[in-house]
Amino acid sequence: MTTKSTTAAEPVRTRPGRHPSPTTRGRNRLNGLPWILPAFVFVAGLIYYSVGYTVYISTLDWDGLSPTAVAVGLGNYTDMLADPVFWASLRHTAVFWAVTFVVQTFLGFTLAAIMHSRVRLATLHKVIIFIPTVLAPATMAPVFRLFFADDGMVNNILRAVGLDALAHPWLADAGTALTVIMMITIWQWTGLWFILYYAAMSQIEPEIIEAARLDRAGNIRTLWYVVWPACRGTTVSLAMLSFIGALKTFDVPYLVTTGGPYHSTEFLGTYIYRQGIRQAHIGYAASISIVLLVLAIAGAIIIGRANRRRAGE
Amino acid sequence: MFEVRHRGSRMLLQLVLALMTLPFLLPLVEMVKGAFAGVGFQNFVVVWQTGVVPTFFKNSILLSMSVIALVYVGSMTAAFGFSKLRIRGKEIYFWMMIVALTLPEVILLSPLFVTFTKLQMYDTLFAVILPLAALQLPFAILLARNFYDGIPSELMDASRIDGANVPQLFWHVILPLTRPIASAIVVLTLINAWNSYLLPLVFLQDRSNQVVTLLPQFFIGQYSNDQTKILAAAVMTAIPTTLAYVLMQKNFERGLSAGALK
Repeated sequence: MTTKSTTAAEPVRTRPGRHPSPTTRGRNRLNGLPWILPAFVFVAGLIYYSVGYTVYISTLDWDGLSPTAVAVGLGNYTDMLADPVFWASLRHTAVFWAVTFVVQTFLGFTLAAIMHSRVRLATLHKVIIFIPTVLAPATMAPVFRLFFADDGMVNNILRAVGLDALAHPWLADAGTALTVIMMITIWQWTGLWFILYYAAMSQIEPEIIEAARLDRAGNIRTLWYVVWPACRGTTVSLAMLSFIGALKTFDVPYLVTTGGPYHSTEFLGTYIYRQGIRQAHIGYAASISIVLLVLAIAGAIIIGRANRRRAGE
Repeated sequence: MFEVRHRGSRMLLQLVLALMTLPFLLPLVEMVKGAFAGVGFQNFVVVWQTGVVPTFFKNSILLSMSVIALVYVGSMTAAFGFSKLRIRGKEIYFWMMIVALTLPEVILLSPLFVTFTKLQMYDTLFAVILPLAALQLPFAILLARNFYDGIPSELMDASRIDGANVPQLFWHVILPLTRPIASAIVVLTLINAWNSYLLPLVFLQDRSNQVVTLLPQFFIGQYSNDQTKILAAAVMTAIPTTLAYVLMQKNFERGLSAGALK
């Protein structure tokens, strides 16, 4: 950003929407408040009301129905610190985020680069890769339970290629259930990653790629030193999106493994549901919700900050 | 991005692409194959004739249409205000909305359960429509605002000189330009509303109010785990969102990229 004052002689470098123009310059003539107010009141009303209410409930020992709720202050929060399932859920979330983010980024970026080369049937491949994103986890859960079953397609393929040793009931094994949950998630979200990387690559100036080629940079070097840095904005947005997504994870583990076996696929979302709805510990569930919300906001801020610091280098 | 000069390397690239795409296809094959297993198409007929499936579909359509309408109107008008009009403290309002992006659905369950029960809205579609729209709006507004920022303000100034007021300007000049971002928002909202599971699971109890994502559970209860029927229902549930994406693919991708890349 330059601090030079913009005079009429030099081109205005701000974004088009920020132009000083009669529409934005006029004295309060064009108050835009009525345009944003309906959406704002609706969203802020429902969401901030719910957050406030949840903070209040989190200080109670309550089943959600009985008229007698016992105020316990921070009791729910201290209970949480001593709850091994809570810590296990956090650990699963961290592993889940790290693995799905790295794999989806690798697959999405590579697929986008391949589709930007001259390949046949690009649209067909694109549609196949994106379709999982439009399907409901609830719809696909029965399919995946079958897919990873003892006599399912995965084990059949493994046996067919002579990898019998690997074939086993994937979802019933506490050692592999989390891996399956991550595989399903990667299957579902790589399409979105791919489309966003594909779009980001379309915006790279062909001259920059050309220049790298002239310097005799090979395909891999060009991708790593030219294309990958040019897509950094997309990578950061996706890091944030997948971090929040990992914290919110509910549908897939709930429907495919119900958090088991032995809590091995328990996430914060499934645990909140188990505590709040199944066991009617509404107060305790609310306190975990608040921790979840704080983590989501803190994570988003940290990722955003880290990005700005690197951008400033 | 890959420069392939030789025929061999071109075929290699094509092969790599096919191998990378295959895992995305296999579960879909498993689903369709399973749905036709045994008595074939008869599975679909039996599923439809339970009478429950049409009801669930009707409710899902009603739910999705309502959420789409709320999100479309809300995001188009609000993003216009955020991008093109003068609002005191604009960015504060904007960031208060964006913070809501981080909000997980589960956090809404207890407060909304208590509130909806009091307002006698529990076990009605409203109890799902309202929170879904509120959760979807911030992202739609973010996308739409980025898109509006790319529309030159000169365009508005020109028509203001012609004497148009702001609503006319919005309706005649801006709205016709927003088709790509509107497609992206409509498709994304449809996917989210049609596929929503947790809110319907908690807030819709009566069978006549339930939606398609609850179908597998219904069949597991009803047919004690008859896989073919469950998969036939899954295939039927998957059709609307798949069709919407395939039909609007070009506009959807253009809008998504224009709104998401900044």
